[in-house]
Amino acid sequence: MMRVGALVRGDDQSALEVLSLARALGGDAAETYLILAAPAAQHAAAGAARAVVLEGIADADPAQLLAAAQALIGAAPPDVLLIPDGPLFEAVGAQLAGSIDRPAARDVGSVAIEDGRLQIVKGAFGGKAEVTLDAGEGAVLGVRQGAHQADELPQAAPQVLEFAQPAPLLSGRRAVRDASGEDLGRAKVIVSGGRGLGSAEAYRSLREVANLLGGALGASRAAVDEGWASPSQQVGITGQKVAPEVYLAIGISGASQHLSGMSGSKVVIAVNRDDKAPIFAAADVGVVADWQALWPELRRALAGG
Amino acid sequence: MRAIAFVKSILDPEAPPGAIRFDAGKALGDVPQVLGPYEGNALELAVQIAEASQGEFRAVALGGPEQEAGLRKALALGAAQAMRVDVPSGFHDPLDTARQLKAAADALGGADVYLFGRQAGDWDQGVTAGLFAGLAGLPLVPLVQAAEVAGAGLKVRREIAGGYEEGEIAVPCVLSASNGPGTLLRLPKVKDVMLANRKPIELRAGAQSGAGFRVSDLKASVTSRAGRRIEGDLKAQAEGLAQELRRAIPGIGGGA
Ligand SMILES: Cc1cc2nc3c(=O)[nH]c(=O)nc-3n(C[C@H](O)[C@H](O)[C@H](O)COP(=O)(O)OP(=O)(O)OC[C@H]3O[C@@H](n4cnc5c(N)ncnc54)[C@H](O)[C@@H]3O)c2cc1C
Ligand SMILES: Nc1ncnc2c1ncn2[C@@H]1O[C@H](COP(=O)(O)O)[C@@H](O)[C@H]1O
Repeated sequence: MMRVGALVRGDDQSALEVLSLARALGGDAAETYLILAAPAAQHAAAGAARAVVLEGIADADPAQLLAAAQALIGAAPPDVLLIPDGPLFEAVGAQLAGSIDRPAARDVGSVAIEDGRLQIVKGAFGGKAEVTLDAGEGAVLGVRQGAHQADELPQAAPQVLEFAQPAPLLSGRRAVRDASGEDLGRAKVIVSGGRGLGSAEAYRSLREVANLLGGALGASRAAVDEGWASPSQQVGITGQKVAPEVYLAIGISGASQHLSGMSGSKVVIAVNRDDKAPIFAAADVGVVADWQALWPELRRALAGG
Repeated sequence: MRAIAFVKSILDPEAPPGAIRFDAGKALGDVPQVLGPYEGNALELAVQIAEASQGEFRAVALGGPEQEAGLRKALALGAAQAMRVDVPSGFHDPLDTARQLKAAADALGGADVYLFGRQAGDWDQGVTAGLFAGLAGLPLVPLVQAAEVAGAGLKVRREIAGGYEEGEIAVPCVLSASNGPGTLLRLPKVKDVMLANRKPIELRAGAQSGAGFRVSDLKASVTSRAGRRIEGDLKAQAEGLAQELRRAIPGIGGGA
């Protein structure tokens, strides 16, 4: 019998999904772990067996989270450890796996145990493909958000472990908020620009579009590399996964890695001067045009009504 | 300082859709092998750290002959040595990859800074840097956007939700590189590319390990939308687009 555990932080949706999946795979015997923000949040423990209280958990320092995770897991780690894919997995998932000599995978959609072996399905090639892996007899898995249902979970007060919080990873650390101030996660409308804009100035012209539409400003990896947009504006497999009502992609070719981040958008509109650009196959509405030339006309059309 | 960059080469991720086919657990296609973009970011950091500390960097890849692309690029950018751990091309268990990369690094005399990309563009794992750090018992700084040599350690900038964090870390340590202006890979000089083509790449026999992850199926995922085009001259296109936007976003623009 494979021992299944979950490592989550707090009680947000992705935590509940992962705890539910652990229970579905491991039954009542599933060991669930929880990292808590504060003792007051213990009611959210959702059947977790053990918890560690971390000061300032919102800052999520990787060294502190890793130490907390190692304390929770103890000397006998479960065979399969599920972690929500996202900041927690990024900070500790693979390193924790290496420290207990287990392989690891992220962006895991489905997980099954067949004949005592773990079978997982995950994305590959930037979202162009899906791979099924025989993952052997144990692994640490980053579970894709939204891929599993969050069930009603039994409430139980967890055992709170003593924990000496270590120093953060970086000394003299200083957090700087992104100057762009975009909140892509909540935005109903996102206007994203890519390399095709050609200059920082042209990228800045998108701000006006975003303001007109009441939207936030996103970017492709290429626009981030150029320094036109900040890394937290990047949409894609290694950026933000977004799901606005409207996603407007301008001068973006539509590489699979970009599409992976925006495919949950309700309506996708693309502007690209190349009528063969892959973005058009991923868009509901396409405009084949040069952005520089289209923009003054669009401004007029939007203002005129 | 001594740095080691782990440089994986992959089928060009910018290849047009359909150029890479997925068949019998393999990715196939007449597409060039290139250094992965995040590996490029790791390589750039290695060059910067070696330059700033008047040290040196080495490059390591695990795989088949297709791994030459990235190793040659590293040589063109001044790598003191390039090593390929020889294992069959294709998927390789990530824990075993990390173990073999660690053994190769040790054989090269180890390093102060071990540089990985945040994610390779083939199997989209994003785990090798962490596995390596976990195996080696070294600290890992995830998603590094810039690094500077500061005394005996490094001053790094790493991505966090809604911004970034800066601070110092002692060596030895492991960094996973992300993208941005601070890690944009420089272009090698043409002369150095030509010289690099004549430099040796050391081969290290890979250990055969049957354990770990194995591919049991690989198939293309289908996602497409019924794209409708807005035709006409620029003015007509702009009007059509404005109309489309008004329909989708109630309350915008002058006319709504
Ligand atoms: C592991 C991995 C992870 C990645 N993660 C991400 C990610 O999270 N997000 C991401 O975006 N990318 C990601 N990428 C990179 C991705 O493969 C592409 O390189 C990137 O998305 C390309 O950005 P782009 O579309 O802006 O640039 P390009 O591909 O260069 O496209 C520019 C487009 O602009 C059009 N154009 C040019 N001029 C004009 C004009 N005047 N008007 C209108 N259109 C014009 C061109 O026709 C072209 O289609 C990743 C890659 C890898 C390997
Ligand atoms: N076969 C390999 N050879 C060299 N480096 C690798 C290899 N596999 C992974 N890496 C390194 O680990 C990073 C993350 O890879 P992955 O975990 O496969 O997404 C890559 O960006 C490389 O720096």
